[in-house]
Amino acid sequence: MRFRFAGIASLVVLIASAAALGASPALKPFERGTWQGVLKGHAGRPVLVHFWGVTCGPCKVELPLLGQFAKDHPDVDVVTVSADLVPNLPAATQSMLDKAGLSSTENFIFNDGFVERLRFEIDPAWQGDIPRTMLISRDGIITTIEGSAEMSDLEKWSAQQLSKH
Amino acid sequence: MIRTGLLGIVALAFLQGAALGQMRAPHASEAACEEPTLRCATKATPTFAPDGTLWLVWMAGGQVSVASSQDAGRNFSVPIQVTTKRLNLDWGPDARPKIVVDRKGGIAVAFSIFRDEAFNGQVLYTRSADDGRSFAELKPITANNESQRFEALALDQDGTVFAAWLDKRNRVPAREAGRKYEGAALFFASSRDGGATYTEASLARDGTCECCRLGLTFAAPGRPAVIFRNIFDGGVRDHAIMTFTDVSTPGEIHRVSNDDWQINACPHHGPSLTVAPNGTYHVAWYTNGKARKGLFYAHSRDEGRTFSAPMALGRPDRNPTRPFVLAGPAGTVMVWKEFDGEKTSVQMTISRDDGETWSPPKTISSTTDTSDHPLLVSNGKQTYLSWMTKADGYRLTAIEVQP
Repeated sequence: MRFRFAGIASLVVLIASAAALGASPALKPFERGTWQGVLKGHAGRPVLVHFWGVTCGPCKVELPLLGQFAKDHPDVDVVTVSADLVPNLPAATQSMLDKAGLSSTENFIFNDGFVERLRFEIDPAWQGDIPRTMLISRDGIITTIEGSAEMSDLEKWSAQQLSKH
Repeated sequence: MIRTGLLGIVALAFLQGAALGQMRAPHASEAACEEPTLRCATKATPTFAPDGTLWLVWMAGGQVSVASSQDAGRNFSVPIQVTTKRLNLDWGPDARPKIVVDRKGGIAVAFSIFRDEAFNGQVLYTRSADDGRSFAELKPITANNESQRFEALALDQDGTVFAAWLDKRNRVPAREAGRKYEGAALFFASSRDGGATYTEASLARDGTCECCRLGLTFAAPGRPAVIFRNIFDGGVRDHAIMTFTDVSTPGEIHRVSNDDWQINACPHHGPSLTVAPNGTYHVAWYTNGKARKGLFYAHSRDEGRTFSAPMALGRPDRNPTRPFVLAGPAGTVMVWKEFDGEKTSVQMTISRDDGETWSPPKTISSTTDTSDHPLLVSNGKQTYLSWMTKADGYRLTAIEVQP
């Protein structure tokens, strides 16, 4: 039994490694209730949630910078949400994430035609402008950055999160 | 036993892959259905012809179609598609097809498509000279190949069609010269033949926000007026208005309001403009600036040079959005959307004293799924709310003028 367990464990590691080296993880559908799931799933950790869209010019400029930030800060959970109107374009979305170095972060795509309701769940005051970044501290305090974020601000926030820990 | 376990895990991995693959493909849609019919439309734009016929242009199933109604939207003619194949229509929140109908029954239509994988836009136009029975082949409004989006059409009293849009062509020379170039530019053209051909595109203003609809109307014969989200110094995306000297001569820009919204983003939320017969400009817009946040209204009695103090619209806790203002026969009407977490309502207020005072907002329609922007349209006798909703289809609702 012990041998069998070890074999299975090795295989799980093997598959996990192959997955990490191979194709990007699929985009996850962002639907009703997903936001609460994101908050719960990352509770107690510093989280950066970035809302963007494939047709948004400033987003295209910011995304690679965010990719570098994610690479430099493995201690921060980076989550992206493509928040364009549906029909959204998964292939274009994934392609831009890949190019920006964000293949392996947790990536969502809006998957509900009723975008007003999705946005309301996230922030009742949000009218859909993108890019938009929400910084969630370990104790759940949310700081919202409207428009393109200054990387220096993200660095500062990240450092504060680490120093608190 | 081990092998069985291995196979089981491999099979599980494949199953997971298949499940993830399935999640990528189908997406919940904004549309109720995928046909080109009005019921499946995500955006529908109305206009009344001078003879009182209601014309509607909509995008559905990747096509743009037109139909008319003689009974205020209760019944429509057999739709005519102005597109001959499914196109990658601009599905941005502020994009929609446009339509104007002149006194001779000529119908001018314009809309945007995404022309490439980088989401560069192209404005296409067409015209019907036979009461909407057929439409000419689609043509680009400009030969330039840089991105164009958010076209607007307006019809002058003499039948001149005026078109304005946001155009990114000036980014290229700026980049080549090493200059910073923010946003896009306001470009325009006009047509003296009812929208069959347009003049060469001309620049009205560089440095506009690139992703918000324009508000366009004729302030007086020969004088188009356009409101747009401008980029002021320091990247402040506040609204500006420009009244043209004539259809080929742009005017000065004037700031509508100092909202101080400094943001490098796509607000996807453009303004609305109407000019009353007495010349008063009425404008409504959205901002999230340091000075104010939300929807606002203001008017100008000096041809858009100065504006009244911004008046807030809607309940801040109901996320008011998508304002539209129209000076109509019974007064100046404004509508906007509010959302309570479950349903979207259209709120309406009316002013009978040219924008000085406004009635308490009233809910005039609601829906429980996604919806187009609420629009207003008038036939000179009655103002209507025009609203496309996913759950309930298209609605044309007469605005009750009684308080």
